[in-house]
Amino acid sequence: MNHMIEELAALVGRDNVAADPASLEAYAQDESFVPRLTPWAVARPGSAEEVQRVVAWANETATPLVPVSSGGQHFHGDTVPSTPGAVMLDLRRMDKILRVDRRNRMAVIEPGVTYPQLQAALAAEGMRVTPPLLPRADKSVVASLLERQPTLIPRYNFHLPEPLRSCGVVWGNGETMFTGEAGTGPESLEAQWQAGGVQADPKGPAQTDFFRLLTGAQGTMGVVTWAAVKCELLPAAHEYLFAAAAELDELVDFTYRLDRLRLGDEVLIFNDSYLARLLASRDGVTVDPDALPAWTLVLGLGGREYFAAERVAVQKKDSEVLAGEFGLTLQSSIAGAATADIAAALAGCCKTPWKLAAEGACADVLFVTTLEEAPAFTEIAHIVADGHGYAAEDVGVYIQPQHQGVTHHVEFSLPYDASVAGTREDMSDLSDDLAANLMAAGAYFSRPYGPWAQPVYNRDAAARDALRKIKAIFDPAGIMNPGKLCFGAPVAPRALAEKEA
Amino acid sequence: MSPSYAKPTTPAETAAHSPQIPDDAYQALEDIVGAENVSRDAAVLDTYAFQWLAELVRPDQSHYMARPAAVVLPGSTEEVQAIVRLANKYGLKVKPHGTGWYHWSGPIKDSDATLQLDMRRMNAIVEIDEQNMYAVVEPYVIAAQLQAEILPLGLNLNIPGVGCSSSIVASACAYHGAGPDTYYMGGNAENVLGMEWVTPEGEIVRTGSLGSGDGWFCSEGPGPSVRGICRGTLGSRGGLGVYTRCAVKLAPHFGQTEWNVEGTLPAYRLPIHENLRVYTLAVPDWDAWAEIYYRIYDNEIGYIFHRQFNLAGADLAAAFWLMYNDASKTLSDVPELAADPEIIALTEELRISFQLILAGRSNDDIELQDKILDAILEEVGGHKVERFCERDMAEFTNVYLQRLGHKHINFVWAGGYIGSWMQFGTPDWVKGYIPTAAAGLERDAAGGKLVQCGGDAMMGSGSGIPLGGATGLEQFVSYDPDDYDSTVAGIKHMEDAVGDAAAISYPPGKEFLYLQIGWTDEQIWDALAHAKQPQAFHYQRKIKEAFDPNNVGDRMYPTLPEGYTAGE
Amino acid sequence: MALTDYRADAMRCTRCSYCKWIPFDLVKSHQFAKGCPSIEAGKFHAYSAGGKLVTALSLMDGRSEVTDQVVDIAFKCQLCGNCDVACKLCRYDMEPILALREFRAHLVEMDRVPESYRPLIERTRAALAGKGPKTPADRNAWAEGLGLKDPTAEPVDVVFYAGCKYSLEETLRETVRTQVRLLQLAGLTVGLFENGCCGGLADKLGYRDEAAEAGQRMLKQWAAAGVKTVVTSCADCRHVFTRVYPQLEGAPEAMPQILHTVECVDQLIRDERLELATPVPMAVTYHDPCNLGRQGEPYTQWEGVEKKIYGQAVVYDPPRPRHNGAYGVYQAPRDVLAAIPGVQLVEMERSREAAWCCGAGGACREAFPEYSAATAAERVEEAASTGAEALVTACSRCELNFTEAVAADTASGGPGADLKVHDVLELVALSAGIGKERS
Repeated sequence: MNHMIEELAALVGRDNVAADPASLEAYAQDESFVPRLTPWAVARPGSAEEVQRVVAWANETATPLVPVSSGGQHFHGDTVPSTPGAVMLDLRRMDKILRVDRRNRMAVIEPGVTYPQLQAALAAEGMRVTPPLLPRADKSVVASLLERQPTLIPRYNFHLPEPLRSCGVVWGNGETMFTGEAGTGPESLEAQWQAGGVQADPKGPAQTDFFRLLTGAQGTMGVVTWAAVKCELLPAAHEYLFAAAAELDELVDFTYRLDRLRLGDEVLIFNDSYLARLLASRDGVTVDPDALPAWTLVLGLGGREYFAAERVAVQKKDSEVLAGEFGLTLQSSIAGAATADIAAALAGCCKTPWKLAAEGACADVLFVTTLEEAPAFTEIAHIVADGHGYAAEDVGVYIQPQHQGVTHHVEFSLPYDASVAGTREDMSDLSDDLAANLMAAGAYFSRPYGPWAQPVYNRDAAARDALRKIKAIFDPAGIMNPGKLCFGAPVAPRALAEKEA
Repeated sequence: MSPSYAKPTTPAETAAHSPQIPDDAYQALEDIVGAENVSRDAAVLDTYAFQWLAELVRPDQSHYMARPAAVVLPGSTEEVQAIVRLANKYGLKVKPHGTGWYHWSGPIKDSDATLQLDMRRMNAIVEIDEQNMYAVVEPYVIAAQLQAEILPLGLNLNIPGVGCSSSIVASACAYHGAGPDTYYMGGNAENVLGMEWVTPEGEIVRTGSLGSGDGWFCSEGPGPSVRGICRGTLGSRGGLGVYTRCAVKLAPHFGQTEWNVEGTLPAYRLPIHENLRVYTLAVPDWDAWAEIYYRIYDNEIGYIFHRQFNLAGADLAAAFWLMYNDASKTLSDVPELAADPEIIALTEELRISFQLILAGRSNDDIELQDKILDAILEEVGGHKVERFCERDMAEFTNVYLQRLGHKHINFVWAGGYIGSWMQFGTPDWVKGYIPTAAAGLERDAAGGKLVQCGGDAMMGSGSGIPLGGATGLEQFVSYDPDDYDSTVAGIKHMEDAVGDAAAISYPPGKEFLYLQIGWTDEQIWDALAHAKQPQAFHYQRKIKEAFDPNNVGDRMYPTLPEGYTAGE
Repeated sequence: MALTDYRADAMRCTRCSYCKWIPFDLVKSHQFAKGCPSIEAGKFHAYSAGGKLVTALSLMDGRSEVTDQVVDIAFKCQLCGNCDVACKLCRYDMEPILALREFRAHLVEMDRVPESYRPLIERTRAALAGKGPKTPADRNAWAEGLGLKDPTAEPVDVVFYAGCKYSLEETLRETVRTQVRLLQLAGLTVGLFENGCCGGLADKLGYRDEAAEAGQRMLKQWAAAGVKTVVTSCADCRHVFTRVYPQLEGAPEAMPQILHTVECVDQLIRDERLELATPVPMAVTYHDPCNLGRQGEPYTQWEGVEKKIYGQAVVYDPPRPRHNGAYGVYQAPRDVLAAIPGVQLVEMERSREAAWCCGAGGACREAFPEYSAATAAERVEEAASTGAEALVTACSRCELNFTEAVAADTASGGPGADLKVHDVLELVALSAGIGKERS
């Protein structure tokens, strides 16, 4: 066996290294349109120490590392290697929940911890972590938070990385540190807990928000080996209300006002196509797509701790009054779908990625904006789709208010059948075209996956230059997921040749 | 009045010990901003060197930090850029300040020729986007001004603990930004959106969505957030470039949209909107104090949450605040008030107390919040302090906490104030240092060289991070900066506080940051190297090398030299 | 008194910058939050009250010398007292306005004054020596035909003191005559001395000796005639009578009652000695003159020492009275306006203790005309922003400054174009049937 494989095996254990095609196939491509590229090997560290050893080795050998901590299908291309000779750093063995602290409402988890796993553990303490929309069962909580995936409850989203707090990191240069408040204490979680620290503040240490250099980074700066997350209390009382509309415009002002008044827990908007597919993907759920409203605002009302039911009742009354002011009526159900099914979808996870259920493949274009721009962006999506022969009514739209109503995640989801020859290429073109049109119209691609990176960093050359300087500090050898974002792909030919030997 | 303890000197001697810049550099500055917007008049320079807390850290307890080589008033981002580029060319330091309150606003080292940038000409509110709840401001917009403009729109903003006289840009981009509103409204770290940053090289970096030309609304990205190197727990305090604009996220305002303050100064009053409640709450002991904070967090009630009035000292707070609310009284009346049996009883009642403003979006909502608060009080054994919840004191509390325009009361006793302790953590953890902090102040004030107002003179936000979970209590230690012995006692207190905290295995507090201003580089490096994870400061050195190759920024952006480890 | 008396104040300045703004609780907008005209014009921190204190400290500490810039810092200031109000919001140990006045006097002693001061003080000295262009008799020309009494010859209810502006400015002639006629209409016998300047200009310039000489002459005059009540329409003069005169050598134990005419008229209205029957339909906004408002509150002389309680808390022995603007003459003019049928008062954002200076104070109208005019323009803009048709005040110097600022705006299309400017008592006189509206 190649001696480099031996070296890796020595670092993480022979059973935790693989280089056979079958093991590598899952990493070679994903649901996005990034070019397929099979990694050279996969290493599965079981601890931060092992991660550090692998990173050090990768520096010595100029080996690209691609961190991944979720299982199953991936969607954004960030975990598909961009350079040959890459080693997948699969963190799923690091799946311990290190601490659950009800009093301070904090949990500390390793990157391999999934949503179902964490939510079950937290539920035992009457808590949960605010989830994103229907994550797949093997979705890593840490990965989701690091990628700033939007969560469902805008009023808890005091800034976009919430509920991510302090982290432990192995930087691309092999050095370790803790970020946030944890960075001001000893480099030992146990010692910090002993002293009463709970890793709650994500800021710092000192003048740098180190954790923000890791968010949205697609694994290009370092590897997070543990993360502290803020938990919410499970509501003791909860119900859903819905506002149906024929046009997205009708929901905009009301949504703004809900966000401003911090009314409700879940606040999100679907179009019929998106909601239909979301629900249809779930076992035992019946949905009538044609009966669904063109647009649905989902408003969850939760009550926690004292007088929980009354809390819900007061919010319900306030919401209904408010809706009336905007010419809307809140209902406890919508045509075409059962409330219980919607509730379950928002509370749970899916075994397999739900977006693939309809047609087998799905192209997603996602960005952030201010809400009043969303209707115009939706119009652009329809026009571009139409121009590529894709039915506008099949474009799924999901809008998630974030940052208490200041930022809104907008996601266009286009299912398609990849088994039909040429379709994938067509959809790739459509996706590129759609992204280009949206960018030109002011959509902010804050998470520039795959082909979006180049136009984003062309526009914002100052950010590109700054990020390259930052990258040169934390990953001077450029081994962390090279080729992503605005970072090049240095690979020493000698090392590559050795790997292929 | 004490005899002057200033070391005798002459203008020539002072000038000889103060850095100068070449005449052609000065001429170039005049060309950039206009001759009327730059000065190197010695007295003018001294008004920038003179700073609160300087006397605690400077040689001979001088009240002056280092004198700038020139003071410059830029009027635009382009002018700032030109000044910074000039500084690079001539090897000068650049030290911007907003309103300039804190000894690190001024130049730090006598050996550095520093251009002090006073940002007061850049004072515009650039934009208020009501629907998207953000405002864009230049550095000399203070929180009071923006709040006044947005309250009629039903919006509010987080005002940091220093008060509404502070620069929003400075707080959000270059310092800390937490205060009584942070629990509900977010701190300025969470609220800052796009920033416009003139780097120490004179490049312009616009963070988040701003850099992509998509507006101000998003601070993150693209990809990793560049803003991550702009500020962390603290910002660069003027030591890494100049922030010329930023956007901040606003918050809902649930009170009256007409700001009609009543009352006779100094105790203005703001009538309390029907959907607001303004309470001073007391608990029987510190265990109950921690309990009630956790319950407030978990029940998600509270709009403004702060332990404010205790800053006057637990022994004297009742007497002080009632004196303050009587326009005909002065500090001379405090002893008599403090001896009044009713005030004595009130003092005891207020011993462990704090302030909480509730805001409801509707009548039903506020009534329910009241009900929740009553249930919490019942459970922890707390109660509403009747006298402070009476209309006069409640309306005073309302205006005080909503506008935060009385923060200069920090200095009321003797003109000097140190904030010591204020280690930040969970209520359970903070509870652990309170007795030591109180005993320490009691001990240090026993000799009469500090104001004796009771050992507990602590103030702090209900939570310095949004949603709850982290608080801190800061001792308000009052000394007379005109009195050498009192000033020296203040320094000793800071040193004692560091030691007292270490003795109970707590890290040092705010006083540690203050003391460092007067240290040598080596002393600071030693302290940084002894941090539990000094690698943060090595990374900051690398960030500085990358963005400030000519060392235009000063050591308020702290770094460790390459290879420097503890014990050297 | 010496500059070093204020060393402690300077040392205890914390550079909080409150002195630059109106009390923050009162801020209602971005534009009208500022309180200090000096720093708005001078821009450097040195121009604020705290900055002036530190400038003085720097000199006292031997770190710097008096330069033209220092002179500009010290004197380009209306002594409007906003700083005093704002600082004292939180402090009981600072006396900013007294320190600023002392700083001026100190520089005057060094003969380091703005060049524009020299002709002013020369004129003052000439007038004191009886060599001025206007004699005391000239100064009373405005009162011709009004039947004012000689207080040395017969008892009078009140002695009226016009002040320099009302005495000598043609444009104010009608106003001052109307004021006196109002008092007479209420049945008061009004006396008028022949005398000169109250000493206010010299006092603001920092020439204490000249101010003292003028003051002592006036006090002698009052004493000799047994004056009980002095009424003046000039807020500056009232300020000097109440704050400076009691400190002068030879000042009596019991000073005569000093009233601004508007205070007097307020009482006359309450006593129903004036009937205001004619409606004056006008939306007005009222400007609080600095020296009647925040600097016009009852003033108690104090002499004592600093003492400390609770270790280091700074108090005074005997307790030092607190002059922080809380009890200025704010309400009397408002009550007078409220008594005029048809007048609607709409307040500016910066009113009462937070009023933005008209610009004329501190001798700035004479010594720094551009600065004075710019300050007035800011206030006129604020007045216009209320939507009122008239800006009303109770001080000759304010009235002059505003009239000129409005004229400038009218010529240039500025925000205060066509705004009317009136003295409060003009409107009273109209309503009482004895005045006519100024065209």
